[in-house]
Amino acid sequence: MAEAATRLLRGRPSAAVPRILCIGLFVIFVLVPLYWMVITSIKPTSDYLAIPPVWFPAEPTIVHYTAALFSYRGLDGLINSLVIASASTVLSTVLGTLMAYSMARFNTGGEHLAFWVLSQRFLPPVATALPLFLMFRSWHLYDTHVGLIIVYTVMTLPLSVWMMYAYFRQLPRSLEDAALVDGLSRWQALWMVAVPLAVPGIVAAAVFVFVAVWTEFFFALVLTSRHAFTLPTVFRAFLGFQGAQYGEACALATTSLVPSIVLGILVQRHLVRGLTLGALRG
Amino acid sequence: MTQYIGSGRVAPALDRRRQATLSAFAERHFRWLIALPAVGLILALSVYPLLFSLWVNFVNYDFDIPGHDFVGLQNFADVVSDPNARSALLVTALLSVVNVAIEFVLGLALALALIKTFRGRTLVMSILIVPLFISPVIVGQSWALFLERPFGPADYLLGEILGHPVTVSWLTESPWYYLSIIIADIWQWTPFMFVVLLAGLAAIPPHLYEVAELDALSARMTFLYITVPQLAPVILLAITFRLLDAVRLFDVIFMMTGGGPGAATYTVSYYLYQVGFQQFHLGVATAGSWIFLILLSIVIWVLVRRLLRAEKS
Repeated sequence: MAEAATRLLRGRPSAAVPRILCIGLFVIFVLVPLYWMVITSIKPTSDYLAIPPVWFPAEPTIVHYTAALFSYRGLDGLINSLVIASASTVLSTVLGTLMAYSMARFNTGGEHLAFWVLSQRFLPPVATALPLFLMFRSWHLYDTHVGLIIVYTVMTLPLSVWMMYAYFRQLPRSLEDAALVDGLSRWQALWMVAVPLAVPGIVAAAVFVFVAVWTEFFFALVLTSRHAFTLPTVFRAFLGFQGAQYGEACALATTSLVPSIVLGILVQRHLVRGLTLGALRG
Repeated sequence: MTQYIGSGRVAPALDRRRQATLSAFAERHFRWLIALPAVGLILALSVYPLLFSLWVNFVNYDFDIPGHDFVGLQNFADVVSDPNARSALLVTALLSVVNVAIEFVLGLALALALIKTFRGRTLVMSILIVPLFISPVIVGQSWALFLERPFGPADYLLGEILGHPVTVSWLTESPWYYLSIIIADIWQWTPFMFVVLLAGLAAIPPHLYEVAELDALSARMTFLYITVPQLAPVILLAITFRLLDAVRLFDVIFMMTGGGPGAATYTVSYYLYQVGFQQFHLGVATAGSWIFLILLSIVIWVLVRRLLRAEKS
């Protein structure tokens, strides 16, 4: 019977050909532009406009990487991105975990608070970016690391709160209750019992927060200029490609996507929870 | 402790008592104290700015014109009468619906194709989710590089496949720029649909398929009467999440077309960025963002209410 279910659920053998075709075509669709980008980053300038296109350069070069990092301030953007993303990841994860614990264990704020936080996730960035831009200019937070860090913390709080909210709700509370009976305070029960148990969930939430900040563009574009700019904003230098800096653009893109893809593959197991803010379990 | 020298015996006791009341306070209000920092931050940097922008709606806030005089509904009138604003709204609505629809169909097809385990499935899954972890700026840029002449290989590849030379300017020629934007968007977000729908498919209880087998339902009937209804809440969830992100479309436009040619590919976000941050008519842009917010909250209201109802049942 189970075999029959599998057969029906997963299609008959004759469906194998369209299935393989579907998967194969999409894998090619995903890989080709990525491959082109990585290859262009090591292509000598003379190969740019060759017809037929050069799919692998005879003489690979790293000259575009040094140009992108040093002439186009890519390195500064990379360092800013690392600092800002790390700081907001720590802040968002810590504050989000605390709030989620309160919501999960004490039903703080009930459904209303939970959905108020969720609604923040669906707020279009442009709606808050306009007033934030004006406020940051008068508070001297415009184009500062601190300013961007707190904006990103707030931006990612719905993600960390909801991921951890879902996580805590599925953790049994009996261990914390036992700790309270043994005379531990609520704070001790949180730090010594609940947090250690929630470490896998916290790590996954932190990674999703980091990736969200690492790849964010709009707030960085409007709230920074020459000082606290992040890596994604450096790509403005290559707009229109008037100077034909194809290699530099690709070198910078390759540099930027390696960390987030590596992190992404590492938390693949938690991907469904991350994408749906904990609403769905993988 | 040193400041209590002279009253040596009383002070530590006082100190201890103060500590005791403090920790009793911390213990009693534990649930609020741990929730407060996050709530406070959201209030300060999201709710307060929105309230502030409510005021900006009705005053002159323009870097060209000094002062913040009350202007009534002028900012709203400026947005509504701007043909670029109206076309941006239309482009946003159409692009989001088309993008999400294509991503849903492709994502569902991929999820159905990948529900069965086979050799190399883990590798395929890892490749398919890669776009989710790439900045949309880079997605826009690498598709621009791949498509646009004379550098991109797209025209050459198409020419080889079709057997005659292709000379399409993907980012400047109508209607190809819309197609380019759609391609970049479905490249990045089809994996989202796929991952969520696959999780939904995997959660359908197998005994339902056994019943279908007993009733000798055909594959198509099984799909229509078991898979689709069982998957419906997850479909709704995936479409809600995706649609509410799709309407923000900005980064890809910024990198691929810059809103052009003319204002043909202005989306709402891009239009508001232009008006607010390039022309610095901040009052007008704020009014525009509030109109967008109100339209959006209608969509959110409809979708999220259904989502909650589906969740409860």
